[in-house]
Amino acid sequence: MREIVTIQVGNYANFVGSHFWNFQDELLGLGDTPDSSQVFKDHSLNMDVLYRSGETQQGTLTYTPRLVSVDFQGSLGSMSSRGTLYGEASSGLSDVVTWTGRVTAQASEPLKRNLFLQSLYEEEQANESLNNCLDTGRTETRNEIQATDIIECLENNVKYWTDFAKVHYHPQSLYELNGLWMDIQDFNNYGMGRDAFTGLQHGEEITERLRFFIEECDHIQGLQFITNDAGGFSGVAGEFLENIADDYTNIPVLLYCVRSPDLPVRTKSQRPTVSNSLHDAISFSRLSAFGKLIVPIGLPSLTKSKASRFLSIEDEKPFHSSAVYASAIHSISLPLRMERPSPSVDLINASGAADMSELIQMLAGQARQNMVTTLDVAMPPPSLSGNHFKQSLLENLQPLTPDTGEDIEDLQALETISIHGVLGAGGQESTVSEVNDAVQAAYENAVRRPRFSHLSVSRCPLPIPLPFPSIFGNLVGQRGELLETPIVGPSSRDSLDVHSIPMAARLRSSTAILPFLEKRLHNLRRYGIQQGALGSGLIKDWGFGKDEIEDMGETLSKMVFTLNPYCEESSDTD
Amino acid sequence: MSIRVLNPNAEVLNKSAALHMNINAAKGLQDVLKTNLGPKGTIKMLVGGAGDIKLTKDGNTLLKEMQIQNPTAIMIARTAVAQDDISGDGTTSTVLFIGELMKQSERYIDEGMHPRVLVDGFEIAKRATLQFLEKFKTPVVMGDEPDREILKMVARTTLRTKLYETLADQLTNIIVNAVLCIRKPEESIDLFMVEIMHMRHKFDVDTRLVEGLVLDHGSRHPDMKRRAENCHILTCNVSLEYEKSEINAGFFYSNAEQREAMVAAERRSVDERVQKIIELKNKVCAGNDNNFVVINQKGIDPPSLDLLARAGIIALRRAKRRNMERLVLACGGEAVNSVDDLTPDCLGWAGLVYEHVLGEEKYTFVENVKNPHSCTILIKGPNDHTIAQIKDAVRDGLRSVKNTIEDEAVVLGAGAFEVAARQYLVNEVKKTVAGRAQLGVEAFADALLVVPKTLAENSGLDTQDVIIALTGAHDNGMIVGLNQHTGEPLDPQMEGIFDNYSVKRQIINSGPVIASQLLLVDEVIRAGRNMRKPT
Repeated sequence: MREIVTIQVGNYANFVGSHFWNFQDELLGLGDTPDSSQVFKDHSLNMDVLYRSGETQQGTLTYTPRLVSVDFQGSLGSMSSRGTLYGEASSGLSDVVTWTGRVTAQASEPLKRNLFLQSLYEEEQANESLNNCLDTGRTETRNEIQATDIIECLENNVKYWTDFAKVHYHPQSLYELNGLWMDIQDFNNYGMGRDAFTGLQHGEEITERLRFFIEECDHIQGLQFITNDAGGFSGVAGEFLENIADDYTNIPVLLYCVRSPDLPVRTKSQRPTVSNSLHDAISFSRLSAFGKLIVPIGLPSLTKSKASRFLSIEDEKPFHSSAVYASAIHSISLPLRMERPSPSVDLINASGAADMSELIQMLAGQARQNMVTTLDVAMPPPSLSGNHFKQSLLENLQPLTPDTGEDIEDLQALETISIHGVLGAGGQESTVSEVNDAVQAAYENAVRRPRFSHLSVSRCPLPIPLPFPSIFGNLVGQRGELLETPIVGPSSRDSLDVHSIPMAARLRSSTAILPFLEKRLHNLRRYGIQQGALGSGLIKDWGFGKDEIEDMGETLSKMVFTLNPYCEESSDTD
Repeated sequence: MSIRVLNPNAEVLNKSAALHMNINAAKGLQDVLKTNLGPKGTIKMLVGGAGDIKLTKDGNTLLKEMQIQNPTAIMIARTAVAQDDISGDGTTSTVLFIGELMKQSERYIDEGMHPRVLVDGFEIAKRATLQFLEKFKTPVVMGDEPDREILKMVARTTLRTKLYETLADQLTNIIVNAVLCIRKPEESIDLFMVEIMHMRHKFDVDTRLVEGLVLDHGSRHPDMKRRAENCHILTCNVSLEYEKSEINAGFFYSNAEQREAMVAAERRSVDERVQKIIELKNKVCAGNDNNFVVINQKGIDPPSLDLLARAGIIALRRAKRRNMERLVLACGGEAVNSVDDLTPDCLGWAGLVYEHVLGEEKYTFVENVKNPHSCTILIKGPNDHTIAQIKDAVRDGLRSVKNTIEDEAVVLGAGAFEVAARQYLVNEVKKTVAGRAQLGVEAFADALLVVPKTLAENSGLDTQDVIIALTGAHDNGMIVGLNQHTGEPLDPQMEGIFDNYSVKRQIINSGPVIASQLLLVDEVIRAGRNMRKPT
C-alpha cells in the first residue's frame, strides 16, 4: 500500500474536496452495511491509501482523511476547525486558568447546523446510546421523510462546504487563514495570496500540518493537490507548492487546478479583465512549475457544456458544479488506490492499478513530456449491452478542462482512462474483461486513436451519497443507466432517485490543451511582458520582477512549443 | 467630483466627513483594545460561530481574529501588527496611541484648526520625544555575562500582562534561561533556536524548559527502544527509502525480470546507505553500552527501519527542517547530507532519549545534552486555548529578552516614561516652537498620557487623580509610574518594571506617521463594488 496525502487550497477546491470525501465515506459505509450490493463490498480499493488510522487521547480509534485543507477564516460554517472526533468538552468562562483578572466573552452568534448536519449529529448520538433494538421499520419511514427535507434544504441553502460534509476530519486537517481583513471577493489576485502565505506565519503552520501527515506514511506515492486557480488562493498554493518542492523533492504532485463556473454578471470596466487575464496566466505558470502533472478543471459554463448532457446543473451553485468535478477526480484516482494483485491471479473486480508516479510517467514521461492534460468525463457512460458502448463511449467523453481544442488530430496523444461500474446486459455490472474488450472495440471503431492508452476498470460504480445535489437529468435511471424515454416528473433527480452511477473519466495529454496554453501565453505577453503593457503596474504590486515574468513567458512558450513545434516564434521579436 | 464622471458608482465623502470617519474608526479600534492593556486588563474569550474558543489578552492576536472591515481601522491594524512583527510587542499601545492622537486632534480641528498645522506639531514633538527617550533610557551593559536580574525584570513585566502572577514568574525564569542558552557572543539572537512545543496534558504550571530538544514524532518501528541512555545522535538529511528511479527519466523496462532487477538494484543502494550508518554505530558503540539514534529529515521506509532496529538503532524520520539546525546546536556534531564519509566526529551526544505517547501523538525527548545552544520550551495545559494563550505570552517574553540584550537598554515602565516625556514636551519643547504648531505639540504630549490613563482605568482608578499625582511628582523631579493597586505613584526602578526601549521607540515613530496620514485625508472615495460573488 502506498499512501496519498490530499491537499485542498481555496474555497472552491474545498467544495470539490468535500464531495470527494463524501464519496469515500459512502464507499466505506456501503462496505460495512450487510444489505448493500456485492460490488461495493468487493470494491478492491484500499482505503488506507487516502485515510489514516488514529487514536484520541481517550483511546477512541479514529479513521480520518490524510488531508490538509486551507481556507478563509469563517469558511467552515458550523464545523469546528478541530473537528469533533478529538474534541474537548466545550468550556465556559470559568475555564480560564491563565488569568485571574477580569474576563469578557465575545461570542458570535452560533451558526445553526442545517437539517443534514443535524440528522448526522442525531444519528451519532443514537449510535452512542446504543439503543438500536427498536423496531427499525418505523424509524426507517421517519428517516425517509427527513431525507427529502434534507435534500431540499441542501439544494437551496448550501453556503459553506461543510454544510454537506459527512466526514470527520482530523484536528490537523482544517486550516483557516486569519488576519487578512478582507472579504473573500477582494482576495482576488496572485500577490495577495502570496503575501498571505508568507506573512503572519501561515506558511510555516501549514507546512507543519503537511509534515504531520507525511511523517506517518511508510511509503508515500504522492500528493493529490486540489487548488483554486482563480483568486488569491492560487498564490497561496503556488508558495505552498514551492515549499513542498524544497522539502519533499522526490514526492510527485498531481495538481488539479479547479475553478467555479463564471457567473453571468461580468464587470464591464477594463481593469478586472486585465487583472484576471494576467492572474490566470501568472497563476498557471507558477503552479505548473511545481506540479508533475497538471489538470486544469472548470468550464466557464457547465450548464451549457456537453459534459453535462445527462445532468441538469445550475452554474451559480458551487454545490452543483463541484459535485461533477469531484466525481471525475474520484474516478481518475481509482487506479492509484487499487489493490495490486499477484501477477498470476486474474482479477474479476478491478484491473489497471498504477501508482501516481506510474500514472505521471505514462502521461508526461514519454516522448513529448507534456505535463498539462485535459480531463474528460462521461457521467454516466452508456451501458455495455448492444452496440451503444462501442459507438458512443469516446463521443460521450467530454472535457471538463476549459479552452480545449475540439476535433483535434494528434497522433502522439497519450491517455489514461478509468471506467467503473459500467452496466452490462441484464443490468448487472459488467466484468472487467467485458469492459476491457468493449473499450478495445471502441478504439478500433474510432477515427482517431491515441498513441498509447492505459485502461483501469473497476466494477464498483460511483455511490451517490445523500448530500449529493439533485443534478441528474430525467434520462438517468436508478443505477445510472441511460433510459430511452425520460422519466415523468421533475426535471432533476436527486440522490434518493439515483443510488449509484457508472463513470468514465480520461486524462489526455494531447494538442487539445494547446488553446488553453496559448491563451495564457498570449495574455502574459500582452499584459505583462510587452513594452508599456497594461498590467506592468499590477505585476509590480504582486511582487514580481520583470525577469521573473519573462522567465514565465519563456516556460509557457516552451510548453506550447513541445506540443506545436510549428507555432510562430514570436517570443524573440519583442 | 470628477470621480463621479469616471465612475458613477463611486461614493464620495467630503473633507470633514472623511476626517470624522477616520477619527471615529481610530477611536473605535482604540475602544476595543483599551481594556487589554496592563496587568489589570481584561482577558477576552472569543467564541466562534462553530463554538471554537480563542482566549487572548494580546492585542496582536485579537486584531488578527477580528474581521475588520473599515478601511481606516485596517490601516491602523496593519501598522500595529507590523509593530509586533518588528519588535515583538506594543500592538495594543500602538493602537491606543494612534487613537488618542486622533482624539486629541479632533478637539482642535473642531475649533477650526487646519490638520496640516497639527501634523507639523506632531513632527516636532516626535523628534523631541525620540531625543528625550535617548536620555531617559536606562543603559544596560551586556558584556559576556548579561545581568540576569534586569532580563528577568523585563520578561516579568511583559508576562504579567498576559498571565497570572505565579505562572508569569515561573515562565520568567524559563524564558530568560532559554534566551541565554541560545545566545552566542557577537551574533544576533535567533529565537527560532528555541523550539516551542506543546502537549495537551496536565496543567499550565507543568510548563518547563527542556535543555535539549523535544520532537513531535517518534520512531516508527515496534522493536526500537522507547528509552535509551548515553546516546550518539546522528543528524542527517539522507533518503533511506526506496524510490522509483526518477520520474521523467524516460526509462522503461520491457519484461518482468528487468523490472525485478531494477527494483532490486534500487533497493540495494538504499540498503547500502543504511549499512553505512550501522557500521558507524558498531564502531562507536563497540565495547560499551552506548546507544545510537538517527534523526533524519528525509523518509525512512519499513525495510530500512527493520535493518536499523535489528542493529539496535533508534531512528526517526521526517524531522522538521529547523530541527536539523537545532539538534546540532543542542547535541553537537554536524548535520550530514550523505553517508559516504561518516566519521564519529559527525555525531552529537545526548544523555537521555525517550519517547512519550499521548494517544496518537508521540514526543521524543532528547535531553541531558552537554553545553546546549538550543533548547525547547515545553508548554503544557489542559486544553488548546490555554496552550495557545501561554504560547502567545512565551513568544512575547522571548522577544522582550532578546530586545533587551540587543538594545543594551531598557525604559522605566508603568507609565513613567510617558508622563516624563509629556512633561518634557509641555514644559520645555513647546516654548521653543513658534506659532500654532505649538498646539500640535500639546496634542501629541497629551496623547502620550493614554498609557497611564488606560492603566488607571483598567485598575478601576480615577484617571484625573492619577494623572495629577503623577505629573505633580514628575514636576518635583521624581520619576514615577503608576501603582495599579493603590493609584499612588511608585518607583518603577524599585519595583522592577521595565519596558523595551526598541518597542517604545517604534511606537513613537509609527504612531504619528499613521495619524498624520489619516488627518490629512480630505476625501474618501469608495469605488463601486464589483458584484462578483465569492468563488
